[in-house]
Amino acid sequence: MILSSLARAVAAILLAGVILAGVLLALGASPAGVFMALAQGAFGNWYALTDTVVRSTPLIFTGLAISISFSGALWNIGADGQLVVGALAAGAIGPQLEACPKPLAIAIILIAGALGGAAWGGTCGWLRAHRDTNEVISTIMMNFVAAQLLSWSVHGPLIEASRAYPSSTPIAESAHMYVFFPPSRVNLGIVIAIVLAIACWLLLFKTDVGFQLRAMGRNRRAATFFGIPIARLTVTILALSGALAGIGGAVQVSAITHRLYEKMSPGWGFEAIAVALIARLNPLGIVASALLFGALDNGSQAMQRAQGVSAELVQVIQALVIMILLAFDTPAVAQLWSALGGSKVAAPSAISEIPNA
Amino acid sequence: MLEAFLSSSIGMATPILLAALGELLVEESGIINIGIEGAMLCGAFFALTVAYFSGSTILGLGAGMAAGLAINTILAVLVINLAVNQVVAGTALDIFALGVTGVFYRKFFGITGKAFIVKLIPRLRLGRLTDIPILGGALFHHNMLVYLAFAFVPITGYLLWRTRYGLSLRAAGERPEAADSLGLDVYRLRWQALLVAGLLTGLGGAYLTLAYAGTFVENISAGRGYVALAVVILGRWKPWGLAAASILFGAAMALQFGLQALGTTIPYQIFLALPYALTLAVLAAVGGQAASPSALGEPYRRL
Amino acid sequence: MLAARNITKRFGATLALDRVDFEAHPGEIHALIGENGAGKTTLMNIIAGRLRPDGGDALLDGFALRAGSARAALGSGIAAVNQSPMLFERMTWEENLAFGGFAGDRFELAAVASEARTLAEGLGFALPPARSTIEERSMAERVRLEVLRALSFTPRVLMLDEPTGVLGPSELAAFLDLLRRLRAEGRVIVLITHKLAEALAVADRITVLRGGRVVARTGATQTNASELARAMIGDLPPKLTVAPKSVGNTIALAIRNVTLHRDGHRVLDQVSLALRAGEIAGLAGVDGNGQSELVEVLAGVLRPDSGEVRGTEMDRAELTVIPENRDLVGLILDMTLWENVVLSRPLREQTTHRGWLDRARARDLCAQLLRRFQIRAPGPETLAAALSGGNRQRLAVARALASGPKVIVAHNICRGLDLAGAAEVHQTLANFAAAGGAVLLISSDLDELLETCGRLLVISAGRVRETDLNERSAEKLGMLIAGNWT
Repeated sequence: MILSSLARAVAAILLAGVILAGVLLALGASPAGVFMALAQGAFGNWYALTDTVVRSTPLIFTGLAISISFSGALWNIGADGQLVVGALAAGAIGPQLEACPKPLAIAIILIAGALGGAAWGGTCGWLRAHRDTNEVISTIMMNFVAAQLLSWSVHGPLIEASRAYPSSTPIAESAHMYVFFPPSRVNLGIVIAIVLAIACWLLLFKTDVGFQLRAMGRNRRAATFFGIPIARLTVTILALSGALAGIGGAVQVSAITHRLYEKMSPGWGFEAIAVALIARLNPLGIVASALLFGALDNGSQAMQRAQGVSAELVQVIQALVIMILLAFDTPAVAQLWSALGGSKVAAPSAISEIPNA
Repeated sequence: MLEAFLSSSIGMATPILLAALGELLVEESGIINIGIEGAMLCGAFFALTVAYFSGSTILGLGAGMAAGLAINTILAVLVINLAVNQVVAGTALDIFALGVTGVFYRKFFGITGKAFIVKLIPRLRLGRLTDIPILGGALFHHNMLVYLAFAFVPITGYLLWRTRYGLSLRAAGERPEAADSLGLDVYRLRWQALLVAGLLTGLGGAYLTLAYAGTFVENISAGRGYVALAVVILGRWKPWGLAAASILFGAAMALQFGLQALGTTIPYQIFLALPYALTLAVLAAVGGQAASPSALGEPYRRL
Repeated sequence: MLAARNITKRFGATLALDRVDFEAHPGEIHALIGENGAGKTTLMNIIAGRLRPDGGDALLDGFALRAGSARAALGSGIAAVNQSPMLFERMTWEENLAFGGFAGDRFELAAVASEARTLAEGLGFALPPARSTIEERSMAERVRLEVLRALSFTPRVLMLDEPTGVLGPSELAAFLDLLRRLRAEGRVIVLITHKLAEALAVADRITVLRGGRVVARTGATQTNASELARAMIGDLPPKLTVAPKSVGNTIALAIRNVTLHRDGHRVLDQVSLALRAGEIAGLAGVDGNGQSELVEVLAGVLRPDSGEVRGTEMDRAELTVIPENRDLVGLILDMTLWENVVLSRPLREQTTHRGWLDRARARDLCAQLLRRFQIRAPGPETLAAALSGGNRQRLAVARALASGPKVIVAHNICRGLDLAGAAEVHQTLANFAAAGGAVLLISSDLDELLETCGRLLVISAGRVRETDLNERSAEKLGMLIAGNWT
């Protein structure tokens, strides 16, 4: 099962690579050159490698957010906004933690992030459960509101003392995340992310709540009939999802930026969808796939410098990967795969078969 | 003042209305198109690019429509023929559009920072109508796309409820298996809806660059596509309802400039956030999606 | 003349039709009978162009019809009425009929309505109020509307799939008369049914399908019910061994004055019912009269507006419900068998400890059930989708019994099962009752209830009423089901 999932992921990436090569040729760039530059930028040296880890960390958090909510057939497209609000909470409380001992300060900042994200996600959960508001639209709208909230904060109430630049007062030293191997930026955040990934895996597959969540995601009607509390679960799942993204935002502030800027997320909430899908929503797999996409992100800067191809190309890659994976899960392709000797595909993927409503 | 505000509202409503009308057709046929934002963004970008390099507004408009069409074609293959999850497919196309426009923007316009501007589509004066105080300027002094968009409102209504084609389309969205058994080609009907919506949404995107901004900035669509999705719900899947909801959001967006001009001390971010917060608030207040087509969002595979 | 030659159809690994030959002539009513799953509906769908056969052709007057094209079939004059009416709920009945052959190519709902009225009057049908939607119409009305739509194509061939399932006995007689009239007009009428009495009453010729093959062809006058039954299942129908009725006096389930409103309608109206340990009570009625809502109230999913439901120990865990619509509501096909088993809350409570799900224990529990109920499956980790319909039903029943309930409420559980499968389920329930349990069997199949239940109640428009022994005839019950309570 793991092997066939891995094969599927590899096949999707290869196919995306082929399509990309075609697009690059059309753009007049050299595919070989681009791929080399990407790899170089991602793994070429120690600094690149550590930076890849750093860039993957937020993707693990948002990827987990997606995994939890999509597993319940709740389409949380708002991980970006939830991350931003988590960062905002962290950035707001961070400067106040001067007098706190380090472990406590970090704990507080992470909790602030979790609460912020949970509030953001939970609101949409409540709206879905009690007002039947489509969560796709509501979470997307909340993304925009979060961005403006952040913007107002860094221009206004939280702006740093000299008022020279729209950013917030730096957080206290004690709230800085522990860094391994300075001057690299690898920090405790990656460990927290992996721990949370394990926790999410346990939740989904080893607990009663996780079972109810998955049942609700697979068949809402049956779940309702057997007394699974759909409304309550909806709010809980989206709040939890938001909290995960929010912690990711807090980690960013604590470990990397140390303060708030106008833009805190380059679209991690959307990228997370590709990250989660390629791992079939499995939290443990998400760690691996986040590293892959983190590598892509990291390499894209080098690629832009070396080959003049816009870094936004990675978004095209993300989109291609999602579309290919969707196509892979259809019965026609599953039959083709079996015919080619691949293992019998177990079930229609949750993503393909769950109706929207 | 009031006149400028009303006029702005209608102008801002136009791209949303165009996209929403397209989405109405698509949803009546049973599909929910989250990729509408991507179609609008691509429409905006390619309209501007072609208009800039060719010097022709008409070609630009055409290019915008073609871009929207292209995005919706990809979506159609995914959600109709391959019957995949519509929400995820649509989101993928939004990401795709961001990437594609980003890449091509750099390719065509470089990082020079040179301002590339096109002449805006002119507003039309409608003789004596335009001279009416306040209302004249608000309602009768717009570019042709605005009138076109609002003209589509009754046309869409007629198509959906007074023609056999519209009946067939609605049947596909209500219960595709039944439609199939009656000899209707559900796949073809849905394809047609998505293609037409692609043209309309692309046109809406073209409006943003050719009739409103005159240039392109990153993510110029700024969520208007998503707002269009909400507009369909708020308008209760009825064309005139869509028109009203679009104007509501157009007004929220126009408010930004109006109030800023008044020189208030209210932070501008509130106005930028207003349309989205308003969308959310109204959706929450209005509640359910009971009026939506029964099979909306469910992938359908022909037996 | 309608002919199907050498038709073969596979669904995955299942061979639904195996080289089937079938013929029906103008001016005849031809009954196609067989159990559920014998292939009757599949054959009809192929002839109607809704399905593409893997082999063989359908021919009309010697000309082969285009496979897989419903439009071609309709164009050639073949109309089919489905088992559950394929109407568009939210649209008005006029719009629904506009898909038929009324008013030609023009799209004028008024013209459609008036032509429909003419046709309906000729047939003795009443039409719904103008511009009302299908949602509000009863099942019988829907069947009539669909027949009307089929007839609007002036079809030379009319195929009807189990049309009488939702008709009460009084409507049935009128319906069979309608068929005779249509026959007199020279059409080919194909009646698909599993009800032998009806087939014998109205058909000229009968073809029997079993397991996807034609096993008998005969004239209606040359055969009888038991011969047909034997052909249908290959043997005599199994007799239910019911233990001597030791119905005690303990009330296992008491439903008192339950009333429920939904969308402004009263769907349950002062429902009261007391079920005693050891008895099997049947609740008869046409689908859509409140049964689903009652089931949901008993399952704890819906809360009644007033009234109460009590078990002996006032403990809901002692009541389990087997819902209808097994594949959509009873099971989650994408999940494994053990996961489906622990969907049931009492069983889940047994296998969780402080929020942690003990998978090993759940798997064991599932394995035990598979053995005890002889469910054919590779193991607890198999997906429910991989099981056959009969085995899925066994699983649903097994799950219901596994939590050791005192009361079982079963809703239309024999739908889609063949006679042997249904008999097995009934036997299981009978054993349960003999051991002291109480069963409430809710079904739209009157025959099933008459055979298995000691006590019969009737539900109509949300009201429930007991019947006494001298009301236990099909006619009397039919009237009660139709709502004629004097």
